[in-house]
Amino acid sequence: MTVGAETMSAVDRSRPPILRAGLIWTLVRTDFKARYHGTLGGFVWALLKPMSMFVVLMGVFSFLFASNPTYKLNLIVGLFLWDFFAEGTKSGLTSLHARGYLLTKARVPPWILVVTSISNAVITLAVFSLVIMIFLISAGHPPTGQALAVIVIGFSLGSSVLFLRFRDLNQVWDVVVQAGFFVAPIIYPLGILPERFHFYLYIWPPTPVIEFSRAALVAGVMPTTTGHVYLAADAACCLAAGMLIYRRLSPRAAEHL
Amino acid sequence: MTLITVDAVSKAFWIPTVRRDTIREHLFGMLQPRRFHRLQALDSVSFEVRDGETLGIMGRNGSGKSTLLKILCGIYPPDRGRVERRAAVTPILDLGVGWNPELDAVDNVFLIGSVMGLSLGEIRRSMDAILGFAELQEFANLKLAHYSSGMSSRLAYAVAFHAVRDVLVLDEIFAVGDAGFRQRCEERYRDLHAQGHTVLLVSHDPRTVTSFCDRALLLDHGRIVMEGPAREIADRYVSTLTKRISD
Repeated sequence: MTVGAETMSAVDRSRPPILRAGLIWTLVRTDFKARYHGTLGGFVWALLKPMSMFVVLMGVFSFLFASNPTYKLNLIVGLFLWDFFAEGTKSGLTSLHARGYLLTKARVPPWILVVTSISNAVITLAVFSLVIMIFLISAGHPPTGQALAVIVIGFSLGSSVLFLRFRDLNQVWDVVVQAGFFVAPIIYPLGILPERFHFYLYIWPPTPVIEFSRAALVAGVMPTTTGHVYLAADAACCLAAGMLIYRRLSPRAAEHL
Repeated sequence: MTLITVDAVSKAFWIPTVRRDTIREHLFGMLQPRRFHRLQALDSVSFEVRDGETLGIMGRNGSGKSTLLKILCGIYPPDRGRVERRAAVTPILDLGVGWNPELDAVDNVFLIGSVMGLSLGEIRRSMDAILGFAELQEFANLKLAHYSSGMSSRLAYAVAFHAVRDVLVLDEIFAVGDAGFRQRCEERYRDLHAQGHTVLLVSHDPRTVTSFCDRALLLDHGRIVMEGPAREIADRYVSTLTKRISD
């Protein structure tokens, strides 16, 4: 293991485990238990949050977009994907700080703590995917949660190590997420905005994922090759940027706790 | 056989005159540049740890002992130098703090045990023994938020003692719990030593170092000032302290 400067090194010939399945499972299980008190009833709260938003927004905006027959489905797909994005990035950002007590106790790869921190958001999204699949029998294509998961992991890796240096990053991100909810076309169809603005909205990573999912799930139309490439590139850029920051800053993460 | 080689390891921390931990503080402080004070925690430290030996590390507060242990365990990277580990290292550091208060003792044992490298099967099989060692069987399902600091520390030592692989690294051991618990820790430690485990032990207590260690190092301002038999190092450490007090 060589970290940073040429003159420093730590050689480890003691079978360092790269992927520790037991640790990953324990982190996911205990995180779920701590958050929902280990009950299924507790987990229902996680689903109720986007569901209640859906009921309120549908009640208000379905009048506005009464002519759009797929508005409700588009809204629910958008809301659950957004909930995954918002919850996943918020948990990921604070993950190393929140689990810092493990980093200073033993040699543990920090990325395991970051990636497992978004497990709760993944579970919620998986349950939603199951439910929406039942409703959308004709859909035929899986949701593009994978691309969003890559974006969330990329963001979490980078922001978790930055948060150890900038402890108000979570507050800044809260503001961004709040504004970002309206930048992404969740409660309104993208079509109501002039086309010249679409490009700017697509820069915000959740937008292409939500639009892609709606096309595949609700409209039953497979997006174009360009759409696939754009989505893959978007996710890859987020992951690469996050990994770059993580690689540079994570070796000294324990020193900032 | 040499299990751990520490070769010319140096580590410095840059301590700012004003601490800035937030984006806001960095933005508002842009016009007021701060200075950094370099704290040389370790300065070209070299030594080896052989298979089966117990090495004591002594030194005053701030001499670099804890930083050295963290580098040995792979928690901190060194700035310069080389650390070579040829065996799995189990650290017992900072155990008084750092549990998930929302989880009960059993889940926390799973969490800390798996971080320390135990498999889930090993943790399940050792659970009764761990809770018994810490005398916490009847509080196994109580959230850690309701534990006293002594109970948390006892649990931490119990997990760590069951997680030992090849090399055990201890920071200020036996400073926890009542006399009975300390005695159980000492017995467990002697068992591990008898089984041939290699041990690195940091302590301020000359009695601990002389009774448990074969060899010791004395650190001062990040440098090894003396290396030799444990008793000689402990005597030198005590005389250094006494001299400082009389000065």
